[in-house]
Amino acid sequence: MRTPFVVPALAVLAVAGCAVDTASPVRAAERFHAAIAGRQEESACAMLARRTADKLPAPGQTCADALREAKLGPGGQPTSVSVWGDEAQVRLAGDTLFLRRFSDGWRVRAAGCRPVPDLPYECEVED
Amino acid sequence: MVAAVRRLKDNALSLMFLIMFVLSVCGQAVAGLLDYNDRQVAAGAEPVSLPDYVASSSFTVDVAENWQSEYLQFFLFIMMTVWLVQRGSPESKEPGEEGAESDEQQRVGRYAESSSPAWARAGGLRLWVLSNSLGLVMGAVFLLSWLAQSVAGQAAYNAGRLSDLRDPVSWSAYVTSPEFWNRSLQNWQSELLAVLSMVVLSIYLRQRGSPESKPVGAPHASTGVEG
Repeated sequence: MRTPFVVPALAVLAVAGCAVDTASPVRAAERFHAAIAGRQEESACAMLARRTADKLPAPGQTCADALREAKLGPGGQPTSVSVWGDEAQVRLAGDTLFLRRFSDGWRVRAAGCRPVPDLPYECEVED
Repeated sequence: MVAAVRRLKDNALSLMFLIMFVLSVCGQAVAGLLDYNDRQVAAGAEPVSLPDYVASSSFTVDVAENWQSEYLQFFLFIMMTVWLVQRGSPESKEPGEEGAESDEQQRVGRYAESSSPAWARAGGLRLWVLSNSLGLVMGAVFLLSWLAQSVAGQAAYNAGRLSDLRDPVSWSAYVTSPEFWNRSLQNWQSELLAVLSMVVLSIYLRQRGSPESKPVGAPHASTGVEG
């Protein structure tokens, strides 16, 4: 009768230890920066999370115009990635991005982010 | 048929708690899912399905933090009542009986009876394991649940931090964080208060027919008497 109580706790640890897919958010971050570097802002806008894409443009402006104006620097090589649940942070050599997993894949929530001690990152593009 | 009914009645207490436990966990899963999805939508994320929610770190940490505190409560109660007494409480031994007691009192070794568990007669390591098995299992489940809370808690906490555009934290940083200790201590204080209430209130209050209470007519000063 004691085993059933122990098994769920062990299962929790086993599940928690499962491998996490870190490649997909990194690819999404790299594709986003590749589109920016190739001046394909409309494609980059299509990779944003809906709330970010909705919030980004000023009145009368398109998402692509707003991304162009944001002047995001080059992304560069990935240096680290953290994935927790449906949230991810991808650090590239030239940028830090926050992504979220949706049913159609990883989308960029925030880009052009700079760390602020003890506070959330300040980002050029965010939701 | 009669044997089946008899079997049900013989195990009614365990079965009733098992049924209530399952219903409560299911209720927690449904209520938790609705709350979680409400927050997901507010944060611009997609709602999740019930299976996905039950497998999530958010549900796991909520379950584990309650489990660890319950098993800690029983572990402490079992172990402390070996050495500490409360005069007048049916949950306590008589004052003067503190300690592990003699082999004769515990009916082990050469004092074991024909119906005693085999390991009560065995001696050595097997006798030690049987003699401490209740505390060992309660303590082990507490530690495993607490560990599960820390692992799932870190995952849920970091998902929240990333959602807030903040850096995730390591496991060692999480287990020293106010979040982890707030989750642990808020459960511990309520469990300890419940035990304190049971030990003290049962000195003066009665519940007729319950083995957790003294007989209604038993004096307040009588200790270790269960009705």
